[in-house]
Amino acid sequence: MAKRIVIDPVTRIEGHAKISIFLDDAGQVSDAEFHVVEFRGFEKFCEGRPFSEMPAITARICGICPVSHLLASAKAGDAIMAVAIPPAADKLRRLMNLGQIVQSHALSFFHLSAPDFILGWDAPPATRNVFGLIAADPALARSGIRLRQFGQEIIEALGGKKIHPAWAVPGGVRSGLDEEGRARIRQRLPEAFATAEAALGIFLKALESHREEALIFGNFQSLFMGLVAPDGGWEHHGGRLRFTDSTGSVIADQIEPARYLEFLGESVQEASYLKTPYFKALGLPGGMYRVGPLARLNVCEHIGTPRADAELKAFKQMGRGAVTSSFLYHYARLIEIIAGLEAIERALEDPDLGSGDLRADAGVNSLHGVGASEAPRGTLFHDYTVDRSGLLKSVNLIVATGHNNLAMNRTVAQIARHYVQGDNIPEPVLNRIEHGIRCYDPCLSCSTHAAGQMPLRIRLVGPRGNVLREVVRG
Amino acid sequence: MDSYLLVIGYGNTLRRDDGVGPKVAAALERLRLQGVLTIACPQLTPELADPLSRAGAAVFVDASVEHRGPVRLRQLGPADSSQILAHAADPRVLLALARDAFGRAPRSWMLTIPAKELGFGERLSRPAALGLRDAVRLVRGLRLRLRGRRRAETSA
Repeated sequence: MAKRIVIDPVTRIEGHAKISIFLDDAGQVSDAEFHVVEFRGFEKFCEGRPFSEMPAITARICGICPVSHLLASAKAGDAIMAVAIPPAADKLRRLMNLGQIVQSHALSFFHLSAPDFILGWDAPPATRNVFGLIAADPALARSGIRLRQFGQEIIEALGGKKIHPAWAVPGGVRSGLDEEGRARIRQRLPEAFATAEAALGIFLKALESHREEALIFGNFQSLFMGLVAPDGGWEHHGGRLRFTDSTGSVIADQIEPARYLEFLGESVQEASYLKTPYFKALGLPGGMYRVGPLARLNVCEHIGTPRADAELKAFKQMGRGAVTSSFLYHYARLIEIIAGLEAIERALEDPDLGSGDLRADAGVNSLHGVGASEAPRGTLFHDYTVDRSGLLKSVNLIVATGHNNLAMNRTVAQIARHYVQGDNIPEPVLNRIEHGIRCYDPCLSCSTHAAGQMPLRIRLVGPRGNVLREVVRG
Repeated sequence: MDSYLLVIGYGNTLRRDDGVGPKVAAALERLRLQGVLTIACPQLTPELADPLSRAGAAVFVDASVEHRGPVRLRQLGPADSSQILAHAADPRVLLALARDAFGRAPRSWMLTIPAKELGFGERLSRPAALGLRDAVRLVRGLRLRLRGRRRAETSA
């Protein structure tokens, strides 16, 4: 008799979600679904607001990654005004995005994911968290907290102490970075580099004993999408879209982000508020693609800084064409921290950061504008249509967790097929399934533009839709 | 250890009374009180453990729908550190993190302000607005008591 396992709530992710695992008549896992069960409707209630308010409004979508929305929204505003922003403003926005990538990746690695592979999958859940990490390696835990703090301080140095700084605005930014701010950031860079390098060493050592996880946790063929520079280099804020496949072949390149709808379709699942984008030309399910650190490193040819490029070379050797295991999102995240730190170090020497030319001014010159930026978790689109007065007629936001939705479902199914035997889910198996989701570091507050915390449930469902077992945690 | 009194006001400033914590922090910041450091944030995040561990004392300021009546100030200790910390934490977990990761949790208080309206908007309800005023007064009083105690300890 077919059955379904439900994990609800999933823990150590941002938001509230559940997982359903479907068993066939033979008791084998036939499929799995990741459901996001929160709804907020940000796109709808922004209608009627002036586009100039959108950076400040959409930054409220998430308390963890407001910067990503702030920057993508400001870029959509630039497009509506049809302006090229001053070079200094672009450099400052990029610096803030680098701070965001560093802080977010640090949180994901040290707080949410590292406890699993450092303390062990089978460690008691009560200690398999950052406190367990402190007990096992206090210096590492402490430096992880400080690395996130470093990224936050860059954001604060630019945007001020406000919770949601309305610092990036359509046309540019409100303020530059003075020498004192630069000196403060520069002073903390050596410690940040040391922490990132240490984390990389720890992960690569852990990888030796986690070969099975690397083979099973989301290891499948898919497309990858990310922004790249004109020369194919790593991008995080400018550039154009590139799609590659699992062989590493480029299947679409240098696509203006404003044309995303020509390439991406969005389907809706009945049981989830999270929409499911796919690569249109291949339809569903063949058009499944992944975004975020793993995808960005797969689609780029080089990073452009020495330490990160050396690691990128090692990373690319882990795949045949593309690196296909979602477990290696962790590795990609650490490489991006190093890339981010090197780029920050370089940016601080740019005299433009102190420029007073920071903002282009214009009215509505285009009734449609799209802003795209690489959030830590992947490509973020803000797509606005306005009337002649600049009031929003429609809003479409596509965030990283949405892009990765199909891949997360596939990852959960792959892990469940390997570990779930019958309708019993022991705690270590539950944790492995959850970790499959954590690889993507999903932010469900962003993906459904939802409010609240994010624990998760797992449900085991029989062939006739009967719930056989339900695990609730968080 | 530094001797500052750290005030952390947290909540969502676009959900009316939920934003009263950050507003208390902002009001205290405007007063520029010597020895008071303020942080306004939407939620408590792990990196706050670092400045917390260096504070002489700390006050967490939050809104509460369960709370009716006057503003409440009560002492707070670190949580059992087996509790999970993800993207956000409660004050006791943060104190435990400060103690375990940075070696020290300061003497701390929780200041709870009654919340009545949590819809979209930035305007405080009357109970929360009165709570804001009382909270600022309580923190100022606490600061004076702590300074007096420190002076007494120094002279002894």
